[in-house]
Amino acid sequence: MDFGMDTITWYLLIAAVMVIFGMVRLLLVRDLLARLIALDVTGIGVLLTLVALAARSDATDPVLQALVITGLVIAVAFTGLGAVLIRRIEGQQDDPPGGDAP
Amino acid sequence: MTFPQFALGALTLLPLLGAAAAVVLPHPARRITGVVTAVVIALLTVPVLVTVTSGELPELVLGGFDAPLGIHLRGDGLAAVFLGVTSLVGLILTGYAAILPKSTGTFLSATAWVPGHPGFWPLWLGCWSGLNAVYLSGDLFNLYVALELVGLTAVALVALGGRKSWEPALRYLFVAVLGSLLFLAGVGLLASVTGTLDLQQTREALGGLEDPTPALLALTLMTIGLGMKVALLPMHRWLVPAHSSAPSVVSPILSGLVLKAALVVLLRCWLWAVPVLAGAEWLTWLLGGLGTAAVLAGSVLALRQDRLKPLVAYSTIAQIGYWFLAFPLLLPGENDDAELASGAYGAVVALAAGHAIAKAGLFTAAGFLKDRCGTDEIAALRGAGAHHPTLILAMGLCAVGLLGLPISLGFTGKWQLATAAVGAEHWWLFLVLAAGTLLSAGYLLRGIAPLLMQAEVDDNTPAANPVTVRERTGELAVLLLGVATLATGLLGAWVSTMLEVGSWW
Repeated sequence: MDFGMDTITWYLLIAAVMVIFGMVRLLLVRDLLARLIALDVTGIGVLLTLVALAARSDATDPVLQALVITGLVIAVAFTGLGAVLIRRIEGQQDDPPGGDAP
Repeated sequence: MTFPQFALGALTLLPLLGAAAAVVLPHPARRITGVVTAVVIALLTVPVLVTVTSGELPELVLGGFDAPLGIHLRGDGLAAVFLGVTSLVGLILTGYAAILPKSTGTFLSATAWVPGHPGFWPLWLGCWSGLNAVYLSGDLFNLYVALELVGLTAVALVALGGRKSWEPALRYLFVAVLGSLLFLAGVGLLASVTGTLDLQQTREALGGLEDPTPALLALTLMTIGLGMKVALLPMHRWLVPAHSSAPSVVSPILSGLVLKAALVVLLRCWLWAVPVLAGAEWLTWLLGGLGTAAVLAGSVLALRQDRLKPLVAYSTIAQIGYWFLAFPLLLPGENDDAELASGAYGAVVALAAGHAIAKAGLFTAAGFLKDRCGTDEIAALRGAGAHHPTLILAMGLCAVGLLGLPISLGFTGKWQLATAAVGAEHWWLFLVLAAGTLLSAGYLLRGIAPLLMQAEVDDNTPAANPVTVRERTGELAVLLLGVATLATGLLGAWVSTMLEVGSWW
C-alpha cells in the first residue's frame, strides 16, 4: 500500500510540473501555435491530476473519471477551434517575414 | 411533471435544438428559427418566474437519475433572476439581429465580404442554451460543461467579426480555456474529497470535514479560473479587444450576458458549494481589493479612450469591479450576521442584472453607430445625435442604469451595497462607490456628449445619409433596452423576494 501511495504521488508531481510548464510557456511565448500546444499541455496536466486523484481508492472514483472524459472532449473542441483561428490569422499575412509560409 | 418543471428542461434543451436545426437550414430560414426559438424561450421563462415568485422551488431530475451522477436542474432565486434578464435581453437582441443582419458580422463568400454572417444563429442559440444551463445547474459538473459551452460559442461569435477580430478571439480562447481548466482542477479536488458533485451534497460533506485546506485550495483555484473568465482586473486585458472587435450584436451578448455566466458560477461556488471556511477571509479581502482597483483603473482607462466601443468595454471592466466589492461582506464573518450577507448578495445580483440590461443597450447603440458610420471614433461621430435622436435617448437611459441613478437596478444594487457597508462599518466602500460613480459619469459624458454637439462639417458626416426603415426599427430595439433599464429599477423588491427562494442560508 505504501508503494501504491508513492506511485500516485509521483503522478501528481508530474501533473503539477506539466501544469506549471504549460502555463509558463502559454504566458511567455508569442508564437500562436506554441501557445495552443502549451494550453494543451496544461490541460493534460490538469486531467492527469484528476486521474491520479481518482486512482487513490481501490475502486476507481467514477465521478472523477466522468470529469476527465468530459475534459478530453472539451480539449478536442478548443484545440480544433484554436487551430482554425490560427490558420486564418496566419493565412491572412500574405508574405510572412519569417519565411515559414503555409 | 408540472409545467414549470417542463419549462426548466425546455429552457436548456430547446435553444440547443434550435441551434442544431439552424445549422442545417439555409440563411433566411435560420433567422426565422432564431426568432421563433427566442420567443418560445421568453414565454417558457414566465412559468418559472411565477413559480419562484410564489415561493416554490421548481426542480427537475433529468431521466430520473439522481445525484451524484444524474443531471439536476434547480430553478432557485438566483437562477430565476438571471433567466429573466437573459430572456429579456436575448429576445431584444435577437430581434435586433434579425432586423439588421449586418450586425451579425461579415462573411467571406466566394468573391467578396458579405455583411450578415449565417454562422451567428446556431452559435448564439448554442450560447443561450449554455447560459440557461449555467443558471439552472444544481451540480458542479454541469456548471463546468455549461460554462465551457458558453465560452467556446462566445469565442466563435467574436470571430464572426472578420479579419480584425480573429486575433482577439484567439486571445479570448486562450484565457477562457485556461480559466476553465483551473476551475476543472478545483472541481476535481472538491470531488476527490467529497465524492460527489452535487452542490448541496458537497456543502454537507465539506461541513463535516475537519481540515479546510483542500476546500480552500479548490476554492482558490476556482476563483482564479473564474476571475479570468469574468475579467477581474489583473486578468482583464483580453476583454477590451475581444468585446470591441466583435460584431455589433455580439458585443452586447458578451458584455451583458456571457460575463454573468461566470459570475453566477462564482457565486454558486462561494455561497452554495463551499461552507464558510476558516481561512477564506484573505481571499474575500483580495477580491474586494481587486474589485476596488478594477472600479478605479477601469474608469480611468475608459476616460482615456478615443473610440466608442473600447470606451464601453473599459466601462464593463469598471462595472465588474463593483460585483467584487461586496465579497468581503458576503460571508458572515466574526459577527455571523446573515442579514448583512444577504444584503451584500442582493446587491451583487442587482448590480449584475442591471448591468446586463444597461450595458447591452449601450453596446448595441455603439455598434449601431459603428455599423452606420464605418468608424467608432468619438471625434468622427460628432453630431450624429441630430440624425439619431431615438438612439441618443436610449443611450442616455442606459447611462442612468450604469451610473446607478434612480430608478434602475444599478441604483438598487449600490443602495443595498452601501447599506450593507454601514452595517459592517466598512466605510472605505463609500469612497469607492462615490469615486466610481463620479468617474463613470465622466466617461459616459465623454462618450455621449460629442454625439449631441453640432457637427463641424455640416451634412458631410456618414450619419447624415438617409436612414432606412430597418435602421429605425433597430433603434427602437435599443430604446427598448433603455426603457427596460429604468423599468426593471422598479422591480428591486421583487428581485429581493425571489432571491429568498432556495438561497444558501
